[in-house]
Amino acid sequence: MELLNNIPPALILIIGAFALLALPATARKIGAISLAAIGFFAIHQLDDNAQVKTEFLGHTLDLLRVDSTSKAFGYIFTLSAFGAFIFSWAERCRLQNTAALVYIGSALGVVFAGDMISWYLFWELMAVSSTFLVLARNTKASRLAAQRYILVHLAGGLILLTGILLTINSTGLTAFTQENISQNTTAKWFILIGILINAAAVPFSSWLPDAYPESTVFGGIILSAYTTKTAVYTLVRGFPGEEILIPIGCIMAIYGIIYALLENDMRRILAYSIVNQIGFMVCGVGVGTQLAIAGVVAHAFCHIIYKALLWMSIGAVLHRTGKSKCTELGGLYKSMPITMMMAIIGALSISAVPLTCGFVSKTLITAATEQQHYLWAWYALEVASAGVFVYACIPFYTFFNVDRGLRPKEAPRAMITGMALMAFLCIYIGLNPGHLYGILPHGEVLTEKASFYYTYIKHFDKVVTVLQMLLFSALMFFLLLPLLKRTPTISIDFDWFYRKGAKLFYCAMDKAFNNLNKAAERLVIKTFLPALTQFVIVAPATLTVILLRPVWRESLDADEKSIKKREQELIAKFSSGTFPVAYSAIFVLIFIGLLVLIGRATG
Amino acid sequence: MATRKKATRKKISSSDVAAKPPASQDDNPTTDSVCLAPKFWKVILTACAVTVLLEILMQFHALGSAHRHPHFQFEEGNPMSDSVLAAFSNWFGFYGIYGILACVGSVLLAKGLSVFLKAREDYYDGTP
Repeated sequence: MELLNNIPPALILIIGAFALLALPATARKIGAISLAAIGFFAIHQLDDNAQVKTEFLGHTLDLLRVDSTSKAFGYIFTLSAFGAFIFSWAERCRLQNTAALVYIGSALGVVFAGDMISWYLFWELMAVSSTFLVLARNTKASRLAAQRYILVHLAGGLILLTGILLTINSTGLTAFTQENISQNTTAKWFILIGILINAAAVPFSSWLPDAYPESTVFGGIILSAYTTKTAVYTLVRGFPGEEILIPIGCIMAIYGIIYALLENDMRRILAYSIVNQIGFMVCGVGVGTQLAIAGVVAHAFCHIIYKALLWMSIGAVLHRTGKSKCTELGGLYKSMPITMMMAIIGALSISAVPLTCGFVSKTLITAATEQQHYLWAWYALEVASAGVFVYACIPFYTFFNVDRGLRPKEAPRAMITGMALMAFLCIYIGLNPGHLYGILPHGEVLTEKASFYYTYIKHFDKVVTVLQMLLFSALMFFLLLPLLKRTPTISIDFDWFYRKGAKLFYCAMDKAFNNLNKAAERLVIKTFLPALTQFVIVAPATLTVILLRPVWRESLDADEKSIKKREQELIAKFSSGTFPVAYSAIFVLIFIGLLVLIGRATG
Repeated sequence: MATRKKATRKKISSSDVAAKPPASQDDNPTTDSVCLAPKFWKVILTACAVTVLLEILMQFHALGSAHRHPHFQFEEGNPMSDSVLAAFSNWFGFYGIYGILACVGSVLLAKGLSVFLKAREDYYDGTP
């Protein structure tokens, strides 16, 4: 199929998204599903030499950089979109489908971008289109969350833009490669921070658990896959082996666990689990060896699958019950058994239980940290792997625990189909790691590992130890559950600084400027201006009195009383500005005399 | 195919809870007490015991050697060679102990942080 070889997959989805707007509901849904499928095939048949270049503001945009890294991300992006569109068959929202397709298209744009300008353009398009997915819930909370979401992303985008412009300015090249980015140290840091904001790295993480849970059922599934994973992709491209990423990744992984233990809202717990999993990937990029990079891409691939599955199953519960909180859900195993099975497969996959896709990808990253002797990182990641069992509480609180008397119907058939596709992939990849390893970058280091025999039989010891850790951790978790009662609360995250900070800033500005205004009014309007008026009136009057006093004293009969009377009359005349014509004539004469004198003196 | 057996056992543990109705029905559905079927504890304890047993077998090379970390082992020029933590990762039962430590540690940390970090749901009302 040479037909699609010279078309960037991003454009197929973005142009298709707008074309769909014109169609009726059913055709639009079929269109969205088939666009995802076409995108997948378009990526599949791209060969490494495919190129699309255009001119933009005097720079060349390279819209198609094809290699195993970009293809692997492209596959999973379109695959999860395919599943999500099937899942969302029952939801009716014209805007949402288009926003999602533009979002997915721009994520593909970033993945296939070969230069930094097109990277940045697609990056911003992603931020804007994803905001609509948060807005689509159409509640006050979602509108406010969308507002915060876009502000954070625009700020991040500007930081990234600064870095990109500095790089282009210092090297003159727009190529999106590690060599080009690391030319200018300042630029590199700007770019890194810009990416880390999108990767939800601590302390820029709070936008994710703030915005994603406010989106619609479908929006949550779509959002969970793209923004953070494109950030991981750009890290893989620009910063492999950047050691600062190792501690950042470890902190993210543990942070995701701790907050998941505190949260009450299921969707928020899922949002924190994204941060946890991205932590593994960021850490892997920091390690930067071939094995680590292959592990990062593999983990991103699997993560998208099981995270979509978890968001779908909780979304199905939300769709049926309208609830998503631990304290409001429970005992649904009888009413929604299929959804329950799907949620359990998702939870097992995220816990990296053997025979699921999480196991074959996460172990690559931990193995890479071990191989490079990053002992502390290895320990931190193992804590995060053991603690990841907290995400088992998602099916536990939803389907078991206390029966809250909820008896909803099983999820709609379309939703089950979408979930089944993802669940199948979870297990299929777990059983056939070779199929995943085959599409990874540096796949050659994994050829030995790429068989069921190697993963599960030859390294049965690994299977046992992983299970042992998970089981003991789970045992402790369930023993300690009473200690961690879910309460109808929210947990304060880094967004406290800008949410409360914004209010504080507002109050501070209010106090500062309004008080300044008041003080200025008191000083200038109420004190200074009247004083000035008084001065303007009194000063000439006093001067005149001083000048006239000797004259009066001589001409009149030196009666103090009459002099005083004259003074008062004069001052009254000055303040009212009324002088007899004679006075004016005298003043005019005096002035003319003065002018003549001055003219003489200077002339 | 011991692996398969292991995995099915794991899954059974989850579906067992499904088969069992919650042990005690809470009268007040708004409180958050945890309900776990007694069978669940049996299954999870058995599974834990089985993994320990398998690891003991591996110590005697009955099923291949236990999974250890050659990169953290003592060898010339290995920067990890004098680290206690590196040695710890090669002990028998490390994974079980570490799983317990990790879980208890994170639960206690979360419990401690909950004092500062938990806020009422209307906490952010009136902020932008």
